[in-house]
Amino acid sequence: MKSAFQVNKILLFIIVAALAVFPFVSDSRTWTILLTQIFIFSILAMSYDILLGYTGIVSFGHAMFFGMGAYATAIMLDRFEPTVGIFVLSIVVGMCIAGIISFLVGLLTLRLKSHFFAMLTMAVSGLFLVLAEKWRTLTFGNDGFTFRAPDFFKDRMMYYLLVLGCLVLVYLFLRRFVDSPLGRVLIAVRENEQRTKSLGFQTLHYKVIASVVAGVIASLAGSLYAVSLRFVNTSVLTMDITLDALLMTIIGGVGTLIGPIIGAGVIELAQHYLSGLAKEHPIFERWIIFFGIVYILAVIFFPRGIVGTVKHLFWKRKNPIKLAIAPKRKGLAK
Amino acid sequence: MSILLKVDNVHTYIGQYHILQGVSFEAKAGEVSVLLGRNGAGKTTTLKTIMGLTPATSGKITFDNKSIEKNPTYDIATGGIGYVPEDQGIFGALTVEENLKVAMRKEDDAALARQEYVLELFPDLKKYWKKDGGHLSGGQKQMLSMARAFVNESKLLLIDEPSKGLAPVVIEKVMEAINEMKKQTTIILVEQNFIMASKIGDTYTLIDDGETVQSGLMRELIDNEELKRKYLGIG
Amino acid sequence: MELLINLLINGLATGMLIFLLAAGLTLIFGLMDVLNFAHGGLFAWGAFSGVWFYGLTNSFTLAILGAILTGVVLGFITEKLIIKPVYGNHVQQILITLGFMIVLSEMLKVVFGPNQLAAKTPPLLAGSWEIGDVIIIKYRLFIIIIGFIVFGIFQFILKRTKIGLVVRAGVMNKEMVQALGINIKKVFLYVFMAGAALAALSGVLMAPYSGVIYAEMGMEFAILAFIVVVIGGMGSFPGSLLAAILVGLAGSFMAYYVPALSLAVNMMLMAIVLIFRPQGLFTAKG
Repeated sequence: MKSAFQVNKILLFIIVAALAVFPFVSDSRTWTILLTQIFIFSILAMSYDILLGYTGIVSFGHAMFFGMGAYATAIMLDRFEPTVGIFVLSIVVGMCIAGIISFLVGLLTLRLKSHFFAMLTMAVSGLFLVLAEKWRTLTFGNDGFTFRAPDFFKDRMMYYLLVLGCLVLVYLFLRRFVDSPLGRVLIAVRENEQRTKSLGFQTLHYKVIASVVAGVIASLAGSLYAVSLRFVNTSVLTMDITLDALLMTIIGGVGTLIGPIIGAGVIELAQHYLSGLAKEHPIFERWIIFFGIVYILAVIFFPRGIVGTVKHLFWKRKNPIKLAIAPKRKGLAK
Repeated sequence: MSILLKVDNVHTYIGQYHILQGVSFEAKAGEVSVLLGRNGAGKTTTLKTIMGLTPATSGKITFDNKSIEKNPTYDIATGGIGYVPEDQGIFGALTVEENLKVAMRKEDDAALARQEYVLELFPDLKKYWKKDGGHLSGGQKQMLSMARAFVNESKLLLIDEPSKGLAPVVIEKVMEAINEMKKQTTIILVEQNFIMASKIGDTYTLIDDGETVQSGLMRELIDNEELKRKYLGIG
Repeated sequence: MELLINLLINGLATGMLIFLLAAGLTLIFGLMDVLNFAHGGLFAWGAFSGVWFYGLTNSFTLAILGAILTGVVLGFITEKLIIKPVYGNHVQQILITLGFMIVLSEMLKVVFGPNQLAAKTPPLLAGSWEIGDVIIIKYRLFIIIIGFIVFGIFQFILKRTKIGLVVRAGVMNKEMVQALGINIKKVFLYVFMAGAALAALSGVLMAPYSGVIYAEMGMEFAILAFIVVVIGGMGSFPGSLLAAILVGLAGSFMAYYVPALSLAVNMMLMAIVLIFRPQGLFTAKG
């Protein structure tokens, strides 16, 4: 087990190193941009995994935190100087807002049953979308606005490296978080909330902590996303963003952290190629249908996702992974 | 007498808990078999497993010469087993009349006759015919639940702790009713109240920690002080 | 005064459309503990298929029947393929019904094209009556009447027929219903199909009301229906009517008096209900 862990670490290091060197050896602009995009969505998907994979709660409002980060950064870079300092400050501001909102929303909604929670997060996030659309003096609504990124990031390569750095840091931080005693309690909540409660844990507190961590990290992803486009509009707050995070997490493998990264890669790449095929046949303009179908099949037949399934096959005995979404035996389900 | 129900080495899991760990007993047609044991011994789960509500993980259940352990609950019920759960399972927002109507699978003369019969047995139900089930007293709910199980032609009734939480006077009434019903059908009864159980029961099955300890004739148990002390904490 | 009446009629008409959508949701939830996030997709399919049938036959009656049929068929498919495999697991249900929602609304774009379509009001129901200063738009009144008729029919079924009693009993205690020899899965399939039919009916009625239809309308409108289900109490049929009217009226009055708040008001209503009375205004579990 220990050695497997070491191998993992080394493998991870090699992959990160290869990715870091990549822009120096390849001068493909498309690939640099695509990979940057993948890294950003990996961060978002990992933050979603904290909720879905580790705490076993389904939020349909994750886009709102992503949007908060995106708007915080875009607005501050636009209104103040486009400097690195302001950029960093805007990330912090976005995270703080996301943290406060996720705390309040979590406190209010996390005591509800899963259905209600999913519904309510969807509605709250819808409210933020409406707010952004109406508050045109600040956001320019659906038309959005462009802004100047700090000169330092004019070079796509620098930005690529920055985002990669963030991805690695977030991964290490979240890994630490889920392996900490606190993370263990979250997993206990996922496995059996009632029992965790009866062991004396205030499960609501832990769920709120998870939602704050997930919200803050999602806000970081939003900030990075806005600067990568140098443009922001209300699409950052739409359900589509939440759905992307959801798809990436499920397909990559819930409760694994690495899974969402792989899921982000798979989905972004497939999206890239499938929409490219639209010239061949118009059905590919609706590429999201394929994802919808794959996703439904994954939820029913393949609930562990890519990483979970691989792990399951290799470490079946030693380390059985239990899932919130794996089918449960029930008397009624006959 | 022929064996109506045979439970053979049944194991049941609820979630990850191994609740029944080998329950076996038989119920002969026309008799009242009583399941005895401490709280949490697995008596209620045994009834639920027979009903298919918590399906058996392994073992065999044979009813009327057919094996039923794999059947869905509604199939088991239509096969001729009536069920009176511990919490009575009354539909609170439906009236007494509607509760009986939901239960009645065929509204033919025979069913209406049976309904007349139970209403004679429990005149209270007739009195509160249009009252919501949720507003009945505990004893009346018990009676309604028993009546509901009886309006269909059942070969076997499973009754779970009918005396629970009732006043002694009401228990008397319920016992009388069970004594009446026993003339027409076979009954498996779960009962903590040993005095009541010993008066009604023909045979007993002792369950402890999810396992059958012993089965036999009720009158033998009444004299067996050791068994009673060890497993029922009485005597 | 005429303003009040107009706002009232607007609110009632919108409320009725939401009610038709929410009624199915609430029954499905109450009976089987399934919250169907694809319900809005059935609504949108009702709208599109209705407009298509209307273009084909030029008869609004046939358009309504066509939409209902579409709803029933889709409801059958949804229940069998999507809901059934994941009974008893809430997280999976939420995920899978949302996934199906995506498929449903993307399929709409494949079948009917990605652009929004115009929906005409049938000539018989177009125009308005003027009574004094009050202008009553015929189509809105039509929606209100249909809404009450549907409520009446379903209320009759639920209160007076055997299947209705079984549905209500099932909302209260599923295990017991099965122990009485009723195959609740079958009942649930029927209820699901009926709920889908209502959603499709709501969609086809919505089309001429809003004038245009588009694939995303399903999700937008479904959120209102979810809010109604929460306010009215999960599983309560009369509760969903009352809550839908409340939401419809609140929307129409707020849109006139405090437009900035009109979209937030429903959210606030729901938040208040969830905080002070999380089981909703009505409870079906007796």
